[in-house]
Amino acid sequence: MNWNTGVIITCILLAFFVVWKEYARGNKARLLQRIIAVVAVVVAIACIALPITYHADIAKQDNSEAVLLTEGLNTDSLNLYSAEKLFTLNKDIKNTIHKAVLLNNVDDLVNDFKISRLRILGNGLYAEDLQQLNHLPVIFNLNQVPVYDGITTISWNEKLKIGEELNIQGSFRNSSAKKIKLILKGLSTGLDSISIGTDTLSSFNLSTIPKSAGNNIYRLLAIAGTDTIERETIPVQIEPVKPLKVLILTASPDFEIRFLKNWLSEKGYSIAVRSAISKDKFNKEFINMQQFSLDHLSASLLGHFDVLIGDLAVLKTLNGADAAVLQQAVTQKGLGVVIRADSTQRSNSWLQRDFPSDRLAGKDPLPVSLISQGKTVKFAKLNAGMVYISSQNNTQSLVSDEHGRILAASILAGAGKLVFTPLNNTFSWVLNGNKNDYANLWSLLITKAARATPVAEHWSILSAIPSLSNPVQLQLETATNPSSIKIGEADIAPLQNSLMPFEWRVSYRPQVSGWQSVKQANGLLNWFYIYKDDDWKIIRTLRRLADTKAYITKNAISLNVTKQIHEKITIAVSKIYFYVLLLIAFVYLWVEAKFL
Amino acid sequence: MDKRTGLYKIGAIRKWYIGSQLIADVLFAVAFSVIVSALVTDVFRASELWVLLLFVLSMLILLFVRKSWMVKDGVISNFLDQHYPELEESSSLVLKSGDELNLLERLQLAKVEGYLQQIPQSHPSFLKRIKLALLLLIVALGINWLARKHHSLVSIANHLAISSEKSKVPEIILPEISAVNVTVNPPAYTGKTKREQDKFTLNVEDGATVTWKITTNVAVKQVLLLFNDKEIITLKSLSTGKIQWQAQKQITKPGFYQVNVDGKLSDLYQVQVITDQPPVIHIKSPKQYTYIDAGEARKISIDAAINDDYGVGNALIFATVAKGSGEAVKFKEYKLDFSTSFSGHQSQYNLQKLVNLQTLDMEPGDELYFYIQATDTRQQQSRTDVYTVSIQDTAQLLSMDGMLSGVNQKPEFFRSERQIILDTEKLLKDKDSVSTQKFNNRSNDLGVDQKLLRLRYGKFLGEESESDINPADEKNDPVGDINNYGNAAVILDKYTDKHDNAEDAQFFDPELKKQLKATLTEMWKAELQLRLYKPQEALPFEYKALRLLKDLQQKSRMYVAKTSYNPPPLKLEKRLSGDLSKITEPAYKQDIKPGTDQFENLKKAVAILEQLKVKPQLNELDEHVLALANQQISLKASAQPGIYLSALSAMRRILSKQANVKLYDIALVERAIQKTLSPPQKTPASTQNSIDMGLSQEYYKNLNRLNR
Repeated sequence: MNWNTGVIITCILLAFFVVWKEYARGNKARLLQRIIAVVAVVVAIACIALPITYHADIAKQDNSEAVLLTEGLNTDSLNLYSAEKLFTLNKDIKNTIHKAVLLNNVDDLVNDFKISRLRILGNGLYAEDLQQLNHLPVIFNLNQVPVYDGITTISWNEKLKIGEELNIQGSFRNSSAKKIKLILKGLSTGLDSISIGTDTLSSFNLSTIPKSAGNNIYRLLAIAGTDTIERETIPVQIEPVKPLKVLILTASPDFEIRFLKNWLSEKGYSIAVRSAISKDKFNKEFINMQQFSLDHLSASLLGHFDVLIGDLAVLKTLNGADAAVLQQAVTQKGLGVVIRADSTQRSNSWLQRDFPSDRLAGKDPLPVSLISQGKTVKFAKLNAGMVYISSQNNTQSLVSDEHGRILAASILAGAGKLVFTPLNNTFSWVLNGNKNDYANLWSLLITKAARATPVAEHWSILSAIPSLSNPVQLQLETATNPSSIKIGEADIAPLQNSLMPFEWRVSYRPQVSGWQSVKQANGLLNWFYIYKDDDWKIIRTLRRLADTKAYITKNAISLNVTKQIHEKITIAVSKIYFYVLLLIAFVYLWVEAKFL
Repeated sequence: MDKRTGLYKIGAIRKWYIGSQLIADVLFAVAFSVIVSALVTDVFRASELWVLLLFVLSMLILLFVRKSWMVKDGVISNFLDQHYPELEESSSLVLKSGDELNLLERLQLAKVEGYLQQIPQSHPSFLKRIKLALLLLIVALGINWLARKHHSLVSIANHLAISSEKSKVPEIILPEISAVNVTVNPPAYTGKTKREQDKFTLNVEDGATVTWKITTNVAVKQVLLLFNDKEIITLKSLSTGKIQWQAQKQITKPGFYQVNVDGKLSDLYQVQVITDQPPVIHIKSPKQYTYIDAGEARKISIDAAINDDYGVGNALIFATVAKGSGEAVKFKEYKLDFSTSFSGHQSQYNLQKLVNLQTLDMEPGDELYFYIQATDTRQQQSRTDVYTVSIQDTAQLLSMDGMLSGVNQKPEFFRSERQIILDTEKLLKDKDSVSTQKFNNRSNDLGVDQKLLRLRYGKFLGEESESDINPADEKNDPVGDINNYGNAAVILDKYTDKHDNAEDAQFFDPELKKQLKATLTEMWKAELQLRLYKPQEALPFEYKALRLLKDLQQKSRMYVAKTSYNPPPLKLEKRLSGDLSKITEPAYKQDIKPGTDQFENLKKAVAILEQLKVKPQLNELDEHVLALANQQISLKASAQPGIYLSALSAMRRILSKQANVKLYDIALVERAIQKTLSPPQKTPASTQNSIDMGLSQEYYKNLNRLNR
């Protein structure tokens, strides 16, 4: 028995009881009126106890507009909207325009159902905030937006290995009549600079090789004359390099391998070298690793190593079992192979199939400058020999000479990579004392080939410029369920991606700026940088504009047609009527008993 | 009335003239004195007062030479007559008194008077001198400005040079120290006198003795000097009140030091050492290899310049004479001194020495090796390369050795040059005993012989006529001839390579031919001297020709040494069997640890400093790292105080934690770290696998299956 029926039955019984009591009363004067009064009392009590509703049609008028004031607002434009309701999310705007209502969240605005349209003044909102608007139509005038001078786009490699170059690229808009100098500073020392001409939007590229490992902060300064107009922070994490394990197979002992071995071993790399010295006789060397048999290749042996550097002659003439093991290790397990080519120009071996070579005409070619892929600085001159690789569609050129002849190229081979190079006298650089070029060339080739190391977790920051004013989105990739994620001291709960089970999202509102650590239980300590609110101001403003613009194109509205929307709604009858009825009935009964 | 206005007019014009002349004179005087002052102040550093005196003097001279105020009215009227034709040469009438004028003159005066009034007071020619003077003045001011600019640059440079000796930042001295007196006694080799300074920062010569005299304002127990954080020098109290302290130290290496007064350390003070450079010797003559031909004077003149930063102590020529050849070579050493005295210890000497080779007992065929060694006042030595002088050995030239042995491929007339030399020498010997006529005849005959010889050698070069032998007078250049203008054949003839040319179609290579040509030139010169009856002068050319011929002869020889090699006997049973079973495979194992990074602590300090900028607090671990980094900067600072000292004191301020860490101090330390660290080398690294629970693996498998 539910409430409603219980109440009704009780009230009916009560009604019969009170009517009977009235009837049984001695004084029969005004009997009818009194019966009506007591029935009214019972009805009123019943109605107070019962929820009484009715359905009604209402016509909604689609003209209730609210104005949201955001940063970069031109206060003069407010006069147009004096009649509208003003809202803002920014405390500073609230302080200047007292009429505006300060909101904590865009959500609050949406929940007020009377608003059917939102006009945004200023620079707009970020995509995260716009998402909460729930497709609410928005009016935003892009034409009012002024042109911002300064760094408009920026990108740099945030995580580096020691020895790698930090490259900062971006564009700068300078509409003033003054030339602007961009300076990259690290350790209070100017490291690189570029001059931006007047009245242009020009791109820039600054670079330096960081000297110390760990979390570093570089600064990017824009200077006009003697005034610093922008001062931005560039946080960079520089990680130490983990030494690799390298297996070297050669057809004969030679200088190239000897120098390579010496260079790698002095950096702490583990190296095993097998060089043929006679028929089925090998010279074996093990540096920084245990000694074991190298006579035959096996899956477990190749599993030890990250890279195999071998002469083409050796790799092609491996016996059937060894060759199969090698191919398996490369395509399935991701082992990388650096192949040192000889003068054979093409063959059907899977190692050489994709690298057809050509020979230069004539004798004794002159030394040529080598150019590394994507770099502008050339290597020193080298007598690169006669053979070069002819360009192929699916190969990637790594090193070429000044005439565009490819001298090292790589290709994917299943899970692994093949790097092919006919260079065989790079050791002459070391003999000339040019260790840098040697290190750069071989680092490129070996890095390109090296087997990717498996990791247990990977953190990435999804927010472009994480700052104090907005929550930071982090993404954790891990195969196991993460447990107890801590950012600084705070415990954070992750959210699993519904489609990619290994992706977990973490949202965090930072308290302080600077480097922050994030760590999951039994995971490694990872760092990310929280910017101050005035860092990268222009880029953030441009981002807001772009986000808002994108939102408008997605949620386009027809402005002038305001149509009537009919809606059936259930309206609860106010209890006050029944209280009044009850009171009147009681008053009548009291007055009748007292005075009449 | 009219006449008086006329007079007045002329007077006014005269005043104008005199005025303009005076202004011009003043301007001239100004210009002159400005020029002179510009030139003189630069050279003599004279004061401005002299310039004023010069101006007054030059103006007075100009005024009294010209005496322009003494110009008479008559001159003015003449001038007016010349320049204004309307006055009709009659302006002088105005000057005459009315009584002197006759009727005609009076009529003329009345006519001219009107014109005279219309004449302007000034005339452009009055201003001519003013303009000239102004022009001169502008030029003078320009010169003066340039001179001053140069002067100020020079003085700025001087000022900088001086100020760099002093410390750039004012020193911070302990409050206990009321006065300091540092006496620098430069070492004897510098020849400088003692100097005093009231600053702690030292910039002294290597080996200088420095005495500190420190006066404190209260009695203190102990005053120490702490050098490079290691060496301690205790100052002795001079007075009983323990107020005056003194210590002495010889400075030999750069670094820094601190003053310690009762355990209270001062700021760091820089010590820079000016090192003494060894002397620099430059030999202007002779050349590195000098060859004295027979007949030339056997003398060499050595011309050398020696420089040192403080003073040259001594310089000597070390000469070695090599006599004989082959195994019989003997050496004899000589020490030759320059005649100059070095007692003045000047910083530069220009030295000359004429060495007579005969006094060194040198004969033809001998060689002289010499070098110059200089010592400066600090006994630092430096020496030059070895220079060689050799005298031609005529005896060897004349020997028959080369021709007697082996196959002689040269024609017999090769011997004749030797004969001519012998005959020439005989002729010279007989000079006193024969008559001049006979002497001349014999000389001429020798000239004829020389000519015949030359013609015969000319045949080797394909030269047939007498005229085309001397390569010097090749005047008939067909290309240069105007008649051949536009004649392509002539030009082709000169510049094309003609294979069937008789000259080229011989066995001689171009090098040999060149030498043969040089021989012919020498013969020409010898013949010339012989025909001029000067056999003495002809001799050197004859010898030279002979030497060249000998060289030619030697070029056609070669020597192959006999060699012998006895191979070990072969084991025939093992030959070509291909058995490698007994050969063991070599295997090496080694562990190479990468070297430790000596700047590890500096690198660690970078992160701590960055953190300090935000949060000025140090925990114990950070402090330890910074202290280690401090040691490294300290080491650097003791080697190069000029660069690293400011960073070291900044680091100490950070570590002392006395007040809030200043951003400027952090920047200083950071800069020093950036300067110290070398960029790391790139090393190969592996990329990271993406964590995808085997998704990409699965994708690859399926792709492979589809492709199959």
